Amino acid sequence: MGFELNRFQGEVDEELVCPICSGVLEDPLQAPVCEHAFCKSCITEWISRQPTCPVDRQSVTSPQLRQVPRILRNLLSRLSINCDNAQYGCTRVLKLDSLSAHLEECEYNPKRPLPCEQGCGLIIPKDEFKDHNCVKELRALIHTQQQKMNEFQQEINEQRFLIAEQRREMQLLKDFMRAMRISNPSMRAIADAMERDEVLRWSNSLQRARVTRWGGMISTPDEILQRMIKRTLTEMGCPPHILDDLMENCHERRWPPGLCSLETRQNNRRQYENYVCKRVPGKQAVLVLYCDNAHMSEDMMVEPGLVMIFAHGIE
Amino acid sequence: MANIAAQRIKREFKEVIKSEEVAKCAIKVELVNDSYTELKGEIAGPPDTPYEGGTFILEIKVPETYPFNPPKVRFMTKIWHPNISSVTGAICLDILKDQWAAAMTLRTVLLSLQALLSAAEPDDPQDAVVAKQYRENLEMFQITARHWTNVYAGGPHVNSDCDDKIRRLVDMGIEEHQARAALSSYNWDLERATEQLFS
Repeated sequence: MGFELNRFQGEVDEELVCPICSGVLEDPLQAPVCEHAFCKSCITEWISRQPTCPVDRQSVTSPQLRQVPRILRNLLSRLSINCDNAQYGCTRVLKLDSLSAHLEECEYNPKRPLPCEQGCGLIIPKDEFKDHNCVKELRALIHTQQQKMNEFQQEINEQRFLIAEQRREMQLLKDFMRAMRISNPSMRAIADAMERDEVLRWSNSLQRARVTRWGGMISTPDEILQRMIKRTLTEMGCPPHILDDLMENCHERRWPPGLCSLETRQNNRRQYENYVCKRVPGKQAVLVLYCDNAHMSEDMMVEPGLVMIFAHGIE
Repeated sequence: MANIAAQRIKREFKEVIKSEEVAKCAIKVELVNDSYTELKGEIAGPPDTPYEGGTFILEIKVPETYPFNPPKVRFMTKIWHPNISSVTGAICLDILKDQWAAAMTLRTVLLSLQALLSAAEPDDPQDAVVAKQYRENLEMFQITARHWTNVYAGGPHVNSDCDDKIRRLVDMGIEEHQARAALSSYNWDLERATEQLFS
């Protein structure tokens, strides 16, 4: 809808008036053939009802509407109009093309959003300040937040319940599979093969690591260090059936005879370079999987593999 | 009332008041309420027609969606015309229906209605009885229309023959307008009108 005529200084030419709303053209568009010009919103509304020019009824569709000539736009932008907030005391008279920029910052705009300076800091329209009460507003805010929190809490409880239920079902399935494995040898063979394949696939997806200083090996890592490594292995997608065994094998008490004491390690240190090691991202540790290290002598390897944690020296 | 409708009507109201036609007393418009949703229009019967000398009052209702929809217009003054209901004053005119265009104004509507009085469209009738008379007995139609203009719109042409026949029926206890409508419908045949009224 166009600008009301009585907001303009001086006479406005009839050519600059929208025949639909009878205001001064706002974002004008023109019909393709007859070139009659209308406000964008007015002509769009009209065409949605009837695809004709409202002045001479020639057929017009929305995509056919065109930008009006530059001369018309220039004439419009030169008109002087008073501010939308004149009734609230703004006395500014502006060129039509600078009206929107002025409205953004007009201090007479009763709806201008301002931050409350009495302490709550909420941003509210200027005309609502006189009825504004920080405590009330904040209380309302707290109330809605509280409601949201209650909803989330309920949601969490619901999800917890579901998880517990699924855990029970998974346990049942595991027990069932174990029972099948024990009672049926061919089933056991299949399951073992599947597990081996899974480890192999996982191993192939890991990057090779290089140990530059074998002397940095920590043979008795503490609980915290072990938990950290275990977490990383889980994130790396370690097959669950070897995870616990692997972690057990990060301490010298479970290492094979060739590694289990300082003395044997000293004796065998020349063989270290033959290990195929996989990286544990972000950690000073390597994975030595049995499937990658079948070439090593028996007293240097255990199933399903080892985790070696270092103080430094991993690339 | 929507902003755009009010803005338009205010401006059109001024346009009519300033127009040449008002200066010549051919059309007129008045406000009925402060909200510009209802207006009273007036058109003069065009010269060289049976409506000459009459003044016809119109009820104009401006819808919320004006000017995207036409105003609702109806004759308050009773009139004998093929495209206007002699009973309700409803008008059959394309621009007040599907041929409405948003750039039309109160002024153009009033002038179109005046033009309709000059040039009836009997093939697109609103009042079938009037239209039939117009097509089959143009002279009788003109007598009737002129008489109605005289009685209801203040036209100058008194038709004593018509008045006599109406008085005869009124004397029999028939209401005056009812008598006029019946006589008009039967080409002022007193016998047939009586028959219809008492059947």
